[in-house]
Amino acid sequence: MLFVLKEGVTGFIKARLAGFVAVMTIAISLTLIGVFLLITVNLGKFVDFLRSRVELEVFLDDSFDEERIDLLGTEIRQIDGVDELTFISKEMAMLEYKKLFRDAQADYIETLGYNPLPASYRVTLREGHRTATEAERVFTTMAEIDGVGENNVVYRREYLVRLEKYINSAIAVDFVVGTIVCLSALLLVSNNIRLIILSKTHIIETMKLVGATPFLVRMPLYVQGMIQGILGGIISAIFLYGLVGLGSLKVPGILTADWRIYLIIANFGALLGLAGSVTAVRRYL
Amino acid sequence: MVKIQRVKLRYSDGEGLEGVNLEVRDGDFTYLVGPTGAGKSSVLKLIYMDEFPSEGYVQVDEYNSRDVRPSEIPYLRRRLGIIFQDFKLLDDRDVFENVAFALRVTGVRRKDIKRRTLRALAEVGLSHKSRKMPNLLSGGEQQRVAIARAIVNEPFIILADEPTGNLDPKTTVEIMNILDKLNARGTAVLMATHNFELVNSSTKRVVSIKNGRTLT
Repeated sequence: MLFVLKEGVTGFIKARLAGFVAVMTIAISLTLIGVFLLITVNLGKFVDFLRSRVELEVFLDDSFDEERIDLLGTEIRQIDGVDELTFISKEMAMLEYKKLFRDAQADYIETLGYNPLPASYRVTLREGHRTATEAERVFTTMAEIDGVGENNVVYRREYLVRLEKYINSAIAVDFVVGTIVCLSALLLVSNNIRLIILSKTHIIETMKLVGATPFLVRMPLYVQGMIQGILGGIISAIFLYGLVGLGSLKVPGILTADWRIYLIIANFGALLGLAGSVTAVRRYL
Repeated sequence: MVKIQRVKLRYSDGEGLEGVNLEVRDGDFTYLVGPTGAGKSSVLKLIYMDEFPSEGYVQVDEYNSRDVRPSEIPYLRRRLGIIFQDFKLLDDRDVFENVAFALRVTGVRRKDIKRRTLRALAEVGLSHKSRKMPNLLSGGEQQRVAIARAIVNEPFIILADEPTGNLDPKTTVEIMNILDKLNARGTAVLMATHNFELVNSSTKRVVSIKNGRTLT
């Protein structure tokens, strides 16, 4: 074991230029994967944010008394998928209207002598239920409640359908790009180990001639691949940290990343180094 | 004991061995002579099982080419000492490490590695150059390092593929003396060479090979 580690480490140190190229190849590949990961995570957060804004509004008939309104609130709350329920009184609705449209002329109370805007319940959906299908199901259930009806429930159906379409396309693109990036990274690392194997033909041949087992011939190459992977991973994590910092400096909040992404990248480096060397060893040794 | 029986070996270019028979008993010194391209190296490759016959068989100690498992080949090679015309030394490590390499890759204990390496170097008269890098040694010295590496695992046979091919006559004699000394201690030697002068001046057993056939 000591021999394997020593050969792996010295192999890496001796192949200065090849080692440096390998580490940088992995670092660049991992940075690409990291950027892709950051985009995925941030895209996910953005999608969550958009979905969290999806709400349904149930308008209440002016004839409903307080007891009826409370009862309706309880019924709505019991619907599967409903998260929060906010009561908007007629007065609050008028205030919001004025704030929203800043229309001084539209003083309905002065003109009509009464407030025509109905009270309502605003309903948000629980996480996992913020999809077009689920929103439609909640919509139908609400409409079926006695005294509500389809005309008194509204939500941005079109917006949600369009959002889902975009999200699905984004996920598909994300998946394809991610797969291409990962495969390219693997190919780069594998190709690099292949070059290292070629440069080590002499020592590998000697090892075989003096009776080294295949395990012992391969292990130093795996160790070397892993060292390169770990170093590449660390460098790439530093790159990404800088990139996120720079991105946030230019547009605050545009990119966020928690420490787990850096950890994933560093570990993925070791995995990539190992996978690359295993692939190359299997193919070329 | 090494026994090659009615062996045929085909290469992709059509050339190869055709009906090779050879037996090297423990303690023998045998020259395998023939012109370049006659198939001498192929015979040695058959013995260290880098090549396998399409017909016939090769028996090396308890290993037979017909039923040897790939996982057994490293253990077979640990019982052989192999040297080449181009020495095949590792130029990234010194003389001691080159010799010790054969022990390190076979899992010998550290304490024994030092003792056995120093003994092998003493055997070839290179104790004083153990920390030199191979590229600072003469051709003869490099071949002595290769011999030390070949004998450090105490093989029962040394397979030498043109070991004097790159050496001047004086150094050739030195190398032959070392091989003679090892043979006198009981190690068999099978030496492939096209140096007919060397073979003719010797009284040792000679097996000729020509166009892939052995002519005893």
